[in-house]
Amino acid sequence: MTETLDEARFRGIFSHLGAVSAYAARRGSRDPDGVAAEVMTIAWRRLPVVPADDPLPWLYGTARNVVYAEARSRRRTAPDEVPATSPAPEIRSLDPELDRALRALRPSDREALLLVAWEDLTAAQAADALGISATAFRVRLFRARRRLRAALTEAEPVPLAQLDVEGT
Amino acid sequence: MTNDATLTRLRAANPVAEAQVADDALFDRIVALPADAPRRRARRNRRMLVLVAAAFVAAIAASTAYALSHWVFTDVVRAPVSRAEYKKAQTILDLPPGYTWPAIDFRDDSVMVRGGGGSMALSIDQSAWECYWVGALERRDTAEAARAHGVLDDLMKNRMSIAPAGAPENWAPENATFPHLVFADDGGYQFKQRIYAEAAAGKPAGLEQSCRANGP
Repeated sequence: MTETLDEARFRGIFSHLGAVSAYAARRGSRDPDGVAAEVMTIAWRRLPVVPADDPLPWLYGTARNVVYAEARSRRRTAPDEVPATSPAPEIRSLDPELDRALRALRPSDREALLLVAWEDLTAAQAADALGISATAFRVRLFRARRRLRAALTEAEPVPLAQLDVEGT
Repeated sequence: MTNDATLTRLRAANPVAEAQVADDALFDRIVALPADAPRRRARRNRRMLVLVAAAFVAAIAASTAYALSHWVFTDVVRAPVSRAEYKKAQTILDLPPGYTWPAIDFRDDSVMVRGGGGSMALSIDQSAWECYWVGALERRDTAEAARAHGVLDDLMKNRMSIAPAGAPENWAPENATFPHLVFADDGGYQFKQRIYAEAAAGKPAGLEQSCRANGP
């Protein structure tokens, strides 16, 4: 069967299915493959607005909304499973120290860090995924890195040698 | 630990490895779906969002912490003045087809900078034209897309300006045309310019996200 032009274009977007599924899994989705399928369906239906040259930021931005919707739905249907104070779908299991530090961040700071560290996006791509300017993203990332570092430093025991130096 | 080391540690802790996934059955199911119906629904939803956006803008205007941009002119006025400015601006600005001015509740006990009602109308107008442009691109209506682009360029050029770096909060250009909007010197104005240029060049992702974030 011959593909239409739209189908041929969509095939390029669809090649990111695994990346979107991994994104959803990293953000704590219970059904990452389902999220990825929904994102791809949205992309097909809104094909003219999906960037042809680099669709990945658009896909991640859409996946974020779908994962949030999934988390909200989960809270409604099984409120005991999700802490009421949780502002966002939580990241999947990590080493406890890093997990604590990441959870201490604002969701927007955390997402900025994870888009770069785990999704391997450039600042410009991550800015597109979040719908903000690249300048604003760089500022957000800088602050998020500083806050994460501070949170990790708080969690780490201070070496004795360092205490000695600081105490003199 | 340096910032870079922090990111390196975070990278190393990535809990899910990306896998190449080929799901031909899913691909076939998706491309068998029609595309037009959801697009129509999205446009209806955007119109419904006018009121939500208006309430949001009103909340921002009522706040004293609106740091991204500020309303022009320097003195503070009460709600009736802002209300009149908002109405007057509606006689000057044109909304895109299908859009209407949202009713904004200027609370009697609120104050705004003089010109703020007009700036609010201008901000709503800009967001409406952005969304209209997105809709035109979805319909592949190049004439209306070009029209929206022209209107937005005109608004940016003639009715919006950037406060100089270090300017006071109440900075306003001399002889500003009413209505007028001042952007803080934080890249916001340039960001708008960039997403308009990209949309005109066939990359509307930024425009579409701006519409989603700000627009009716």
